[in-house]
Amino acid sequence: MRLKKAKALLICLSILLTLFFSNDFGLIDVEKTSIITAIAIDKEQDEYILTAQVAVPEATDTNTENQKAQLSSKGKTIGEALKEMGDVSGWFPKLAFCNLIILGNNLANENVVNLLDYFAKTLRLQDSALVALSEKSAKELLSLSTPLDNISSFAIQKILLKATQFDNDVAPTDIKTFVSGYYSKNQSGYMPLVKVISADNGSGSEGQKSDNSSSSGGGSGASSGGDQKSQGANTESNNLFDARTTALFFKGKKVGELSPEETVTFNALSKNISGTSIAVNNVPLNDKECNYLLNIISDSHSVKVKATDSGIDLNFCLSIFCKVSDVFSTGTEDSLSSNTKLPKPLVEKTKQLLTNSIISLVNKSISTNCDFFNIKEKLYRYNYSKYSQYKDNFLSKLNIKINVNVSGQK
Amino acid sequence: MYQLKTRQICFFIIAFLPITKFFSLPSLITSFAKEDLWISALISLAIDFITLIPIVYVCKKTDKTFFEIIEDVFGENGAKIIAFLYLIYFMSKAILPLNEQKDYVEYTLYTLKPNVFYFLPLFILAFYMCFKRIRVLGRLADILWVVTINGFITLIVLSLSNADFSAILPIGASGIKNIVHGSIASFNWFGDSAIIFLLVGSFKWEKGSSLKILLSYVLGAVMVLLFMIIFYSIFTSIAFRQRFALTEVSKYTTVINNLGRFDYIGIFMILFSNMFALCLPIYFSSKLLDYIFSIKIIWISPVIVVGFQLIITLFLYQYFVSIEMFMTSYFAIYFFVFGNIVPIIISLITLRRNKYAIKEG
Repeated sequence: MRLKKAKALLICLSILLTLFFSNDFGLIDVEKTSIITAIAIDKEQDEYILTAQVAVPEATDTNTENQKAQLSSKGKTIGEALKEMGDVSGWFPKLAFCNLIILGNNLANENVVNLLDYFAKTLRLQDSALVALSEKSAKELLSLSTPLDNISSFAIQKILLKATQFDNDVAPTDIKTFVSGYYSKNQSGYMPLVKVISADNGSGSEGQKSDNSSSSGGGSGASSGGDQKSQGANTESNNLFDARTTALFFKGKKVGELSPEETVTFNALSKNISGTSIAVNNVPLNDKECNYLLNIISDSHSVKVKATDSGIDLNFCLSIFCKVSDVFSTGTEDSLSSNTKLPKPLVEKTKQLLTNSIISLVNKSISTNCDFFNIKEKLYRYNYSKYSQYKDNFLSKLNIKINVNVSGQK
Repeated sequence: MYQLKTRQICFFIIAFLPITKFFSLPSLITSFAKEDLWISALISLAIDFITLIPIVYVCKKTDKTFFEIIEDVFGENGAKIIAFLYLIYFMSKAILPLNEQKDYVEYTLYTLKPNVFYFLPLFILAFYMCFKRIRVLGRLADILWVVTINGFITLIVLSLSNADFSAILPIGASGIKNIVHGSIASFNWFGDSAIIFLLVGSFKWEKGSSLKILLSYVLGAVMVLLFMIIFYSIFTSIAFRQRFALTEVSKYTTVINNLGRFDYIGIFMILFSNMFALCLPIYFSSKLLDYIFSIKIIWISPVIVVGFQLIITLFLYQYFVSIEMFMTSYFAIYFFVFGNIVPIIISLITLRRNKYAIKEG
C-alpha cells in the first residue's frame, strides 16, 4: 500500500515538474511563427529599417535547398520595428535561432550600440549572435544570393566563423563582446566589414552584377537551386562575401578599418591562429625573388602593458612556428609535404612583414582612438596605481617594443 | 530519535545552499561592487561560516532541538516570540528567490508569456514538503547533491574557455563602501547558518562531524565564489544587467555554437535542485508556525505559509521592484540579525550554560 502511494506521488510529481519545465513542450504554432535566421538593420531618416531573413520550413520528402523569405519593417527603436514586423505579417518573430546581425553602412557614423543594446538586453535573442557591418546597405547584403547557400545569412556565417585550424583571417565579434567593449574602459570595439565580391572574378574584385545567372559556384562547385523562390532584390547567385577587412569603432561610431593583412596580425596577437596561412612575397633567394605561402603550425602571443613614470611600455611578443605551404619557384629541392627548414631570407622577410604590420596596427589605434589592444583596460587591471595618471592620454605615452620570432623546422 | 545523519547534513549544505545564489544575485552584487563582487560574496560567506562554527559546537555539546534551545534561553513565551521573528525571517527570505525563479522560468524557458498555472507546481511541491517530517530533507539531500554538483560542473566546464579572469583585477578598486554595500544587499540570499540552526538536534553527532559539516560549507562557498568570478570574467562591464546569469555563462562556448544549447542539461539540473531549495524557507516557516500556535492539524500551517507566498507571487508582482529594493536595503539588516547575530548569541549562551551544567553536574 505504501509502495503504491509512493509511486502515485512520484507520478504526480513528474507530471507537475513536466508542466513546470516543459515550456509547453516547445509547442508553437508554426503557421504563426517566423524563425528568423538573420537581421539586417539600416537607417532611413530617423527610423530604423529592420529586414529579417526567415527560414521557412516545408514538409517534403525530396532533398531541396533551404528556402527563405524576407520581411521588412520600420520603427523608431529596434523593438518597435520588430513589433511592427509581427503586426503586419501575423507571424510571431522568433529570434532564438538568429545568429547574425548585419548593420548597414549608413549606421556606421552613429553610435551603433544604441541599437545593439536592445539585442544585448533582450532574452528573445542570443547575445552570442555575430555582428557584422555591411559595405552597402544591410538589406541589400541580405537579399543577395550566393552559390554557397540559398540563404545568404548562412553563407555569411560560414565566412565569419570558419572551422578551427582553418584560416583565421576574419576578426569576428558577437553582440556581447561588442557591447561589453563599448561599456568597458576603452569604449572600443571592432566587427568584420562584409564586402560583396563576384564569384566569377574571384577574390578582391568588387561585386559587379554578372549577366550570367547560371555561373558555376566560385570554386565550391555548388549551384544555387532555390533562386526562383527567394524574394530578394538580387536573384543572381554569383556573389561571394569577403569579411577579411575589420571595421574599428570608438564610442560606438566607426572610426577606421584594418586591412586584411592587419586583421591577420591582429588575430595573431589576440588568439591562437594555428592553421592560418600568410603570403610572403618577393623573398630574395639565390639571386632571384620567390613568393612563399607559409602555414602557421603553432603560435604564441602576448601584448603586455607596463606603466612607468616615463610612459607606458607596450610589449608585443609574437612567436610563430610555420612550414612552407607553397613556393613560387622552380628548382627547390624540398618537397612541400615534409616540414623543411625555412630559408633565412624568408624568416627575415616574415619577421619584417609582421613587425611592420604591428607598427601599422599601433598607429591605426592611435590615429582612430580605437583601443582594440585593450591597453586602457590592462592599464586599469595591472597598473592601477598609474591609471589615473594615464587614463586620458595613454595612447600618446606608448613606448612600443616588438619581439617577433619566426621559426620553422630546425 | 534522530531523523537525519551527519552525511545528510553535509549533502544538504552542498545540494541546496549554493544554488540559490546562481540566479540574479551575481548581477545584483555587481551593480554595487563591480569587479569586486567576489569580495562582497566572500564577506557574506565568511559571516555565515563564523555563524556556523558555534552552531556546530552546539550540535556537538547538546542533543536539544532548536525549539528546546530557545525555550531554555528565553523561556516558553520568549521562545514563541523568537520563533515568530524567525517565521517572519523565513517568510521574507523566500519571497525574492521565488520570484527570481519565476522570472527565470518565464523569460528564459518560455517563448510567449505562459499562463499563471505554470508556476503552481512549485507551490504544490512546497505544500507537500511541509506535510513531511524533517527526514524528507535528508532524503532529498541524498539524491540532489549529485544533481547539483553535476549541473554545476557542466556549466562551469562550458564557461571556463570564455572567462577572462583578469577582469576581476584590480582587487578592491571599487572601494570598501561599495563592496560592503554589495555584501549587505546579498543578505537575503545568505544567512544559511540560520537554516542549519533549525536542524540542530535532528541529527546524530558522530566523531568528525564538525569537520565534515564545516568542510561541506567551505565546498559550497567555493562553488559560489567560483560562479561569481566566472560570471564577472565573462560579462565584465555588462555583468550588472545579466539578471539571468545561470542561462548566460555557458552559451558562448564554441561547442555550444556548433551543437546547440546542450548546456540546458546543466541548467535544468540546477533548476531542479533549486525548486527544493526554494521550498526550504517555506518548510521551516510551516514548522515554526506549528510551534508558535501549537497547531496539531498538519495541513493548517502549510496552507497558511504556502498561501501567503502564492498571494505575494501572483498578486504583488507589480510591486516586485519595490519589494526587491526594500529587501536588499532596509530589510537586509533584519536578515543579518536573524541569519547571523541571533544564532551566534543563542549558540554562545547555550554553550556557556552547557559548560556550567557539566561543571555543576
